[in-house]
Amino acid sequence: MAIKAFSEEWAGAFKDEVNKSAVYKNAGKGWKWTVGLVIEAEPNKHFPESKGVVMDLFDGSARDIHVGSAADAQKCDFVITAPYTRWKEVATKQLDATKGMLQGKLKLKGDLPTIVRYTKASQEMTECTTRVPVEWPDEK
Amino acid sequence: MLGGLIDANVKGRPEKQGDFEQLVARVGIWVTDIDEGVTLDFKGGKLVVHNGLEAKRTITIRADAETVMSLSNLKIGPLGLPVYYDETGRAVAGKLLRRKLQIDGLLPNLLTLNAVTRIFSVQ
Repeated sequence: MAIKAFSEEWAGAFKDEVNKSAVYKNAGKGWKWTVGLVIEAEPNKHFPESKGVVMDLFDGSARDIHVGSAADAQKCDFVITAPYTRWKEVATKQLDATKGMLQGKLKLKGDLPTIVRYTKASQEMTECTTRVPVEWPDEK
Repeated sequence: MLGGLIDANVKGRPEKQGDFEQLVARVGIWVTDIDEGVTLDFKGGKLVVHNGLEAKRTITIRADAETVMSLSNLKIGPLGLPVYYDETGRAVAGKLLRRKLQIDGLLPNLLTLNAVTRIFSVQ
């Protein structure tokens, strides 16, 4: 059954997918920083308020993933910011996250060399989001 | 992003300073699957990043986004040479052989390419 996009339930399902992934377990070894995703509001897409996804990732596993405010996500070590539509494109495989970052469609804040070192891990994180069946607010 | 990566690398890794101070070259990077690119104009301790490919480039790297990221994940081995025998290195070498990674101006500018790789590498 589809889960409401960027809800607490979605965050839990996403965390489960990350922790099920053998690829992430291997590629994320040594990672010890928090990552915040800022999903910017797009009222015309029925996404009226910006949200934040706060991810506590450690050494190849997700210790916690929860939904909070954009301000919560902005406090993380790494912050990736994009409007709702872009995140939807990432989660539905229409936009590759690496390409999105290179093109500036996803804005990254944090130590670039560190995140580039973990390209494979971030690609797998994206794959994990695509495995969660999502109900999108603009498709109701 | 690529300019930012080099900037962070040079500031955060003192061992890259020497190459950065000495390198004078115009390096084009064209990301084939997004049809966008940059020219990194190294001017001996200064870097100017231009959108798109500028004229008079020393070398031009053409590859998809994933391969461009792999280039920055090449390890640097003895004598400051990129390592092509580990998993990442073999993948990059394989793409070069299959022409999925093309480097115009490679042969006469091998030393320049090695210096760029050292500056670019996050490993």
